[in-house]
Parts: sequence; structure tokens; C-alpha cells
Amino acid sequence: MVSPETLSAPAVRPAVECRSIRKSFPGVVALDDVSLSIAQGEIHALLGQNGAGKSTLVKILTGVYQADAGQIFIDGKEVRLRDVREAEAKGIAIVHQDQQLIAQFDVVSNALLGIEIVRLGGLLDRKTMRLRVQEALDRVQAEFSPNALVRDLSVAQRAQVAIAAALLRNPTALILDEPTASLSDKEAEHLFEIIRSLRAQGVTIIYISHYLDEVLGLVDRISVLRDGRLVATTPAAGVSRGDIVKMIVGREVSQLYPKEKVPIGSPLLEVRGLAQGSALRGVDLTVRRGEILGIAGLVGAGRSELALTLMGALKRDAGTVSIDGRPSNPADPRIANEQGFALIPEDRRQEGLIADLPVRENLTLSNIARWAKFGLLNPRLEAGAARELVDRLAIQPPSIKTLARNLSGGNQQKVVVGRWLTGDSRVFLFDEPTTGVDVGSKIEIYRQMVELARSGAAVIFISSDFEEISAMCDRTVVMRRGRINKVIDDQAQATPEALLYWASGSAAPETAEVATAQSARSPMQTALDTMFSRWSTIAGMLLTVAVIAVLAPQFVGLGNIFDVLKQGSVLAFIALGLTVVLIAGGFDMSAGAASQFAANVAAGTLIGGFGSAAAIGLGGSLGLLIGVINAGLILFLRIPAFVATLGMMFVIMGATLLYNGGQALTLSDAPGFFFLGQGYVGPVPFVFILLVAFTFVLHVILKETRLGLRMYAVGQNAAAAALRGVGLKQYAFASCALGGLVLGLAGVFLASYSYGASALATGIDFLISALAATFLGSTISRAGELNVIGTVVAAIFLASLSNGLILIGVSSQALPGIQGIVLVLSISLGLMRKRSIGQILIF
Amino acid sequence: MQSIAAAKRSPDAFLLDQLRAYGPVIGMLAVLLIFAVLKPSFLSAANIGNVLHQSVILIIMSFGLAVVMAMRGVDLSIAQIADGAGLLAAVLMLHREPLWIVILVPIAFGLIAGLINGLLTAYAGIPAIISTLGMMFVIRSGELLMTNGAEPQILFTLPRGLTRDFLFIGQGSIGPVSALVMLGLVVFVLMMIVTNLTTFARRARAVGGNSRAAYLAGVNVRAVFAGGFVLAGLLSSIAGVALVARTSIAVPRGAEPYLLDAFAAVYLGTLLSRRAEITIWGTLLGGLFITFLGNGLTLLGLGAPYRYALNGGFILLAMAIGALKRNQ
Repeated sequence: MVSPETLSAPAVRPAVECRSIRKSFPGVVALDDVSLSIAQGEIHALLGQNGAGKSTLVKILTGVYQADAGQIFIDGKEVRLRDVREAEAKGIAIVHQDQQLIAQFDVVSNALLGIEIVRLGGLLDRKTMRLRVQEALDRVQAEFSPNALVRDLSVAQRAQVAIAAALLRNPTALILDEPTASLSDKEAEHLFEIIRSLRAQGVTIIYISHYLDEVLGLVDRISVLRDGRLVATTPAAGVSRGDIVKMIVGREVSQLYPKEKVPIGSPLLEVRGLAQGSALRGVDLTVRRGEILGIAGLVGAGRSELALTLMGALKRDAGTVSIDGRPSNPADPRIANEQGFALIPEDRRQEGLIADLPVRENLTLSNIARWAKFGLLNPRLEAGAARELVDRLAIQPPSIKTLARNLSGGNQQKVVVGRWLTGDSRVFLFDEPTTGVDVGSKIEIYRQMVELARSGAAVIFISSDFEEISAMCDRTVVMRRGRINKVIDDQAQATPEALLYWASGSAAPETAEVATAQSARSPMQTALDTMFSRWSTIAGMLLTVAVIAVLAPQFVGLGNIFDVLKQGSVLAFIALGLTVVLIAGGFDMSAGAASQFAANVAAGTLIGGFGSAAAIGLGGSLGLLIGVINAGLILFLRIPAFVATLGMMFVIMGATLLYNGGQALTLSDAPGFFFLGQGYVGPVPFVFILLVAFTFVLHVILKETRLGLRMYAVGQNAAAAALRGVGLKQYAFASCALGGLVLGLAGVFLASYSYGASALATGIDFLISALAATFLGSTISRAGELNVIGTVVAAIFLASLSNGLILIGVSSQALPGIQGIVLVLSISLGLMRKRSIGQILIF
Repeated sequence: MQSIAAAKRSPDAFLLDQLRAYGPVIGMLAVLLIFAVLKPSFLSAANIGNVLHQSVILIIMSFGLAVVMAMRGVDLSIAQIADGAGLLAAVLMLHREPLWIVILVPIAFGLIAGLINGLLTAYAGIPAIISTLGMMFVIRSGELLMTNGAEPQILFTLPRGLTRDFLFIGQGSIGPVSALVMLGLVVFVLMMIVTNLTTFARRARAVGGNSRAAYLAGVNVRAVFAGGFVLAGLLSSIAGVALVARTSIAVPRGAEPYLLDAFAAVYLGTLLSRRAEITIWGTLLGGLFITFLGNGLTLLGLGAPYRYALNGGFILLAMAIGALKRNQ
């Protein structure tokens, strides 16, 4: 038995020390006079229930929050941590439980994002970067290549990447936040080995976990927080799981629970061997009519996944479910609802409420057809039903017109519960219904559960607040790592201590892991897949070209090939500009219109007699300016990219017509300028040479410089990039501006190619060709990301396709449609391979 | 609690609130007033009647776009569907098909195009912006092929007796009210019902508000989302047929400018709602304003460039004001 007083810190100099940290939020004191010292080179566990203050302390250490009072010392020096970057710079690195990585990046780029190694001129020093990352990967015993894409790694391997990334920042202390929550036992065991070896290398680790048995086997010392205060800091050796449970729980029952005994009937819901991915590994449950069954479990236990699988929102891999003797395997929540399931989801704001709709519409949504005939609502009946629910649930304020977002947390939850009370639901799944809810509303929600049970429904009450489970349920099962770890039939035995004991550790010494549900794919299979996804597009293109060549032999004549290259080059330029904008700028409807305007201005400049250089300069600057304005609208006025650029497209089209007065600006006798778009160097069109040069430069900027890497990072996962200190604005701006410049120059080449500028504002026509080239090009790259080389290859392919089809005798009038179909197909191809397609979802 | 807060606000804040609520309407009226001052004929009964008559086609098309956009989708093919439907009607007319075929076949075409949009977007998961852009170009090609490279399909070459009933939709009048305005009114009333008093309306609003929550609450999110595109296709085809009935001529790509106008109408319409929402009411007024604007510019001798630029400017303005409204 350890005395719950703080033991004196060891003789070693503390790596991190907190003195009298205090932090309060409106209404709660989250941390009250917490002093803690983490010794150099130890693994120090930080334990406590939800709400004990752990996460607040971690957020203060990582600069997310600032303490109201107290001091923090790192390596003996007092520091102030004002934001995440500063905390990182001062030596605190954190690995979050859901490792925020950029899926389309390789391991090297992920690990060093934000601290890239560059040579002169901002060029990435890939070789050194790879060496450094390989070293870090060796330290965490990783067996995968630093060139692997994070997307292709398992969850456990991603954890290794995240830890390697943190190590590369040379932290004084490394915080691991629930690192095993989504790992299997075997993977977790491997992670412990890695953590131990890091300790052997002298790394100081702050380890946060709910799983006490892991903690006991792993860490040197333990600090327990409870209700914002430090309970004790104690060496792990000689402490039992039971001792820690007492320290963590040890509080008086703080409130009364409206538990009532209602008669319990026959079994209603039977679940046998339910499995879902790695989250559920064979769950058996029986719930009776009138019963409230508690499911206690910690983060990663599979509680919410159980609820979502029963609702059909997650697809089950194995197992049977029957409700009232009838088998149930719903394809989606709508069917589950018809079968009698009702879900009160864990995340009320994101998954439960429709915050911008009034209480009335939220309450009647699930069973709206009940008040309608042939789809036509009877608003009086429906409003009456909503009003009745508001009364019955005592929702405050008692109005059906209040917007759901303006209700307090408790009343919001009542609305989510109330949604199901109008139907025939018989099995109610409450997933953490009382988080962030005031005491009065909690009691209201408990009452509602009892009411439901009394009416003969089966209630499943999922919670990590073991006190409420203990008090409210008739029976309790404890989940751990996707399995039922303990069934407690006699609720008197289900004390909060007992629940935490079973939730935080295994029942028996772990038996050898049965093959996990996550079937490991053979490396051969993966390699084949990669090859297929990488080369199928190119193969398809070559095949198409071959078919055309067979049908129209003149297609492969050298003269025709150079013609195609010339025709395709101008379009390819516009597509290049669009690609650059799309990488980090969201969307651009104005791309075609911008090029068109630049073409007009370039032609006008020449007609005005200012020469080719002025035309090129003005065209390019105009594109740049449009890019900057777009960026301003998107980033500073926060207008969605689609709308902002749509508006700009109009404005630009108007400006173009004002500029050219509705007349075509035809150029003649400007041989120097015409050379840009029409000249030949030997047999090769000059515009194609320009295109190759531009593509090369853009490729280097995007792929080989820090700027480019960060543009891709913010475009693909802005949240993950922000955690590495790479902000969205700067790089989205760069994307819009650079893309705008290219679009402007594309316009100049267009003017040269077509002897001036046409009168029509046909911006949207260029747009579709450019989009088709851009997205088709993205399917060529390994990660399915937008890239300039792919774009140019695709643009030239599209030009060959048009040329070839005309040679074969297909009407040129069919070409737009064929482009439209290519666009849709290339996106479908990406979707079929489960690749994310960047940020083209517009709102 | 809110009412207490409101009562405590200073008169200044109250004024600001009122300005926020009614400012955009006042602004729109002011723009129209400028036209009236510059060109008194702008407010003549004949001109107003003419503008109302013209506005119906844009408004019907915008309703479809509004339904899709309220669910956070977008439909770039509406104008092209209208175009295709109108062209089909004209071609069928020239083939001397009976009236019901001339009307129903284009409408069936609109429904099918909308259905394909819906399937691609809601079921195949292709972003709406891409699938509908693809649809737009496929229809365009179809039109060019059908008309031998954009030959105009001219209806007044036909005997008057043959076209009378069809052209009545776009050129006739019932008493003092033009048939087209009547059609607009009927569509407006139906759309008010569809977007307020149906189960579809409730589900669509839930999908637009929070599609994940709607899914977990048992809404068939895919079907509802696809339904929006079908409705947009239907409305566009009605607008397209009406357009040909009004002008007696169908030129491939003739209806394309309506796409830009429809976006402007929908976004301007959001200004008229307190929380910058997309509504049928707002879209109606937005469409009217856009048509009046175009008419006023034409009367002043200012052509397409000003229309484009102003439409774009108004969209940006509407979004900027909307952002302000939501932030406060």
C-alpha cells in the first residue's frame, strides 16, 4: 500500500517540472495547484478519469492553453508556452491518439513536415532527409521503408511514424496520448518494446493511458489526477492495479440517481459473435425487455462501434443479431430504425443534432412520414406531436421554434432522445448521453431511460462514467479492446472501482492472440495493386492511342504528332495553372476566364504597339492579380472557393467584354509574338518546348522545394499541417498566386497560337478541358494526387484523342461530350481506388 | 433568454440589426431606383409587365438550383438541360408531333438527365461540381450532333395553326396576365409546398444542415440528395420548353447564359433571409432583381459586359455579407 502523498523527486534533474499550475474555465476549476516533476529519462504515467484534468494539463504543456497561475520548467529553465510551435521549440513533443498524418505523403515528408531540411534556394535535401528519417525509424524499430506512403501503412505503423516524427524534433520530453487506443494487444506489446528502447536511449516520456495493466508493466512512476488535483506521484513498482483504481476513483457518490426497479421481461435483443474490423472482435449480448444494460469501457474499447454496427452505420464482418427473435442485419440506420433500433450518438453536435434547424424539425425528423400522406405533411399534427414531446421532456425554453444550436447541452440531448420517442423503437442505444450535460438534465435523461424500460423497451447505456453505469443499470458488461471482458450480472458488484478495474486490464493473462480480424494483405497483393493503380491509366491511354493509330494510320505520321503537340500545348498550359491552384487553393471556376482575359489583354497590347515583352508581362501580371484577388476572397473574406471564383468568373467575363468591346482582337504581322505559339524549332513546335520547360520548373517548385511540399500538405490535410506549424493561409495564397501567373501566361500563348483573342467569353469551355486534364492526370501519380506532369500528359492525351477521333471520322461536335465523359470517368477511377480527391467538395 | 438579451441591446445595436435584416432589400430597391431615375420608362407598366414575363424562365431554373444548393450540392447542368429540352421541343414541333409529345418528351429528358446527375453524385460519390459539369458537356455535344452543328430550329416557318397551342405557353395571356407569368406563379406555389410542407423538404433540410446526423437519424441521405437533382432537371426542362415557346426559336447553347444568372439569383436570395439561408422566396426575389437589372442595363444601352460584371459583383457581395451575418 502506498501512502498517497507526493514522494520526493529523484536526485536526477527533472526534465519537465510544473509548479502550482492552476487553470479554470467558466464554472469549473480544471486544475487546482498541480505540481509535478518528470525526471530525465523516465517513463511517467499520467492517470485519471475523464474530467480529472489530464488533458487540460497536457494542453498547457503543449501550449494549446495557458495556465492561469503557476510555472513550467523545462531542463531547469522557466518557460512560457504561448502556442504549439513554441512548446515544440522549447522541447515538448506530443503524439496524439489519432495520429494526424498526411495520408498521401510518404513517411519522409510526413516526419519532417515543418522542419524540412533544405539546401540553398529552398530546395529540399531529399537525401539527408531520408537518412535522418531512416535513423528515427530505426530508433522506433520500424520495418517499413521511409519511402512508403502513409496511406498504405497499418495503424500501428502510423503510430511509429508519428513517434519518429516527434523524435526528429529532439524533444526534452515526449508526450504519448493514449497511443494504444486503436491497436490490437499484439501491436500494443510491440509498441511497449519500442517505448522501453526509447527510454534506454535516454528519451523522457510522459505516458497517458486508461489501460492500467499496460501502465504498470511499462512505466517508472505514476501521477494520478482526480477532480483537478494531484492525488499522488508514486513509483510503479510494488503498486497494484487495485491500488491505482482506488486513487483514481476515490470520490463520494456526488448525486442521486433516479433508478427504479421495473419488471424485466423476456430477451429482446440477442447479439452473437459480432465483429467489425479491428474494433469489435466477437461480442455476445442479451438484453431483455425492461432492462437497462450498462456497457462500461474506455477509449478504444469498441463501445461506439458496437452501437454503430447494430445501427447498420458500420458494416459488420461476422456475427448475428436478432431483435424479438427476428434476424437483423440493417444496411443503414434507416432500416435499423424500421427494425426497432434507436441511437443517441456519442457526439451530440456532430452526429445527433441538426444545429441550424429548430427543435420541431429535429424532433420529428426520424418519423416524419408518420404525419404525412403521400409525402405531404400535416403541419398541425406534426407541430402538436413536437409540442407534446417538448412538454414531456421538459425541454427549456418550452418552445418548438428555438434553433437546436441555441439550447443548452442537456436540452440538446433531450431533443436527440425525443426524436425516437414518436416511433416504434424498442432497443435504445445511448452512447455517452451525459457528456457535457448539466446535472439537472442528466437526471432528466436518466429518468427517460427508466421510462423507456418501464414501457418494455431494452436500453443499452454506454458510458465511461462508471459511477452512472453503476447506479443506473440492471446489469453491466465491461468492454475492452473489442471484447466483453467481464459480465457482471449482480449489479451490486458493479461498483465504479470494479468497472474501472475490468475496463483497464485483462481478465486473465492474455492468451495467444487469435488472428485478428484485420486480415493482413500479402505484400505481393499490395505490390500488384500499386502497380495496377499506377499504370492502368497510362495503359488505357496507350491502348486508346493504339486503337486510333490502327483505325487512322495517318495519326502516327510525324507531322501529325507535332500538330497534336502544338494543339495540346495551349490547353495544357491552362490545365497546368489550374492544377497549381487546386493543390492548395480549393477550387477555381475562374481559371478559363482568367486565361481568356489575359489573351485579350496580350492581343490588345500588341495592337496598341507595345510589343511582345509588354504583352507577356501584362498577361502574366493580370493572371497573377486575379489569383491574388481570388486568394483574398477565399482566405480573408472566407467565401467558399467555388463561390468566390464563380463570382470572379463573371466579373472577369464582364471585364473581358468591356475590354474588347465585343469584338475579336485579331493580330496580324507580329511574327516575333506568333513564334511563341506557332513557331518551330527544327520540327518541334516552340510552344511545346515552352510547355516542357514550364512543367519542369513547376515540378521542381512543387515537388522539390519546401514551399511546394507545404502547399501539398495544406491542400491535403490542413489540420495535420497546422499541428506541424504549417498554416493554411500562406500556402493557399501561394497556390492561388502561382497558379494565376501560369494562367495569365497561358492566355498570352493562347493569343499567339490563335492570332489574337476571340470575342466570346468562353471561359467555361477551357475550364472543363483543363479540369479533365487535371483530374485524369492525378490518376497517374502514385498517391493519386494532383501533379503537373500527369496534367500535361493527360492534356496531350486529350488533344490526341480529339485529333484521332476527327481523323477516324467522328464529328468534332461530339468532342465536348467525350471530354465530359473522360472527366467523370477519371474521377470515378480515383474513387474506385479509394483515393481521396483533394478538396473539391465545394462547401 | 434571448429576448432578455435583445431587450438589453442599445438602440444603436437595434438599428444595426434592422439594417442587417433589411439592408440588402433596401440596397436592391436603391439600385432599381437609380435605373428609374435615369430611365423613367423603366417603371412603365409595359416594361414591368415585360420584365415579369421574361423573369419566369430564370426563376423556374433557379428554383431547381436552390433546392440542390440548399443541400450543399451544386448543379452546373441546369441551363444545358433547359437548352436541350427546348431544342428537343422545337425539333419535335418541326417534325409535327402532337403537343403532348412536344411537351412531355423534353420533360422526360430533363428528369432522366437529373436522375443521372443524382446517381453519379449521391450514389457513385462523384463531386456534384464534376458530374454536372460532365453532364453539361455531354448534353451540349448531343445538341450539336442533333442540329448538325448548331443550326437554329425556327418555329415560325411552320403554319400558325400548328404552333398556336405550343406558343401560347410563352406568348399567350389569360386575361391581363401572361400565360408565362401564370406558369411561374403555379411553379412558385408548388415549390413553396414542396420545400415547406413535404417529408422531402424536412429531410432535405436535415441533409443540408448535417448529413451525418441525418443519416444516423434514419434519413435516406443518398435518395434525398439525388432527389434534389431530379427536381432540378425537371424544373430546368420546364423552363427550357417555356423559353422556346416564348422565343419561337431554339438555338443550341442559347440558354447557357441562364446558368450564371441562376447562381446570382440564388446567392442574392440568401441576402433576404435572416440567417443567409437559401429559400424559394429569396430565390424568387433574387431572380426578379437579376432580370430587372438586366433590363435596366439594356435600357441604358449597357450590354452583356456590365451584366456579367454586376452579377459577379453581387454574388461576391452577397457572400461577403452572408459571412458577416453568420459571424455575428
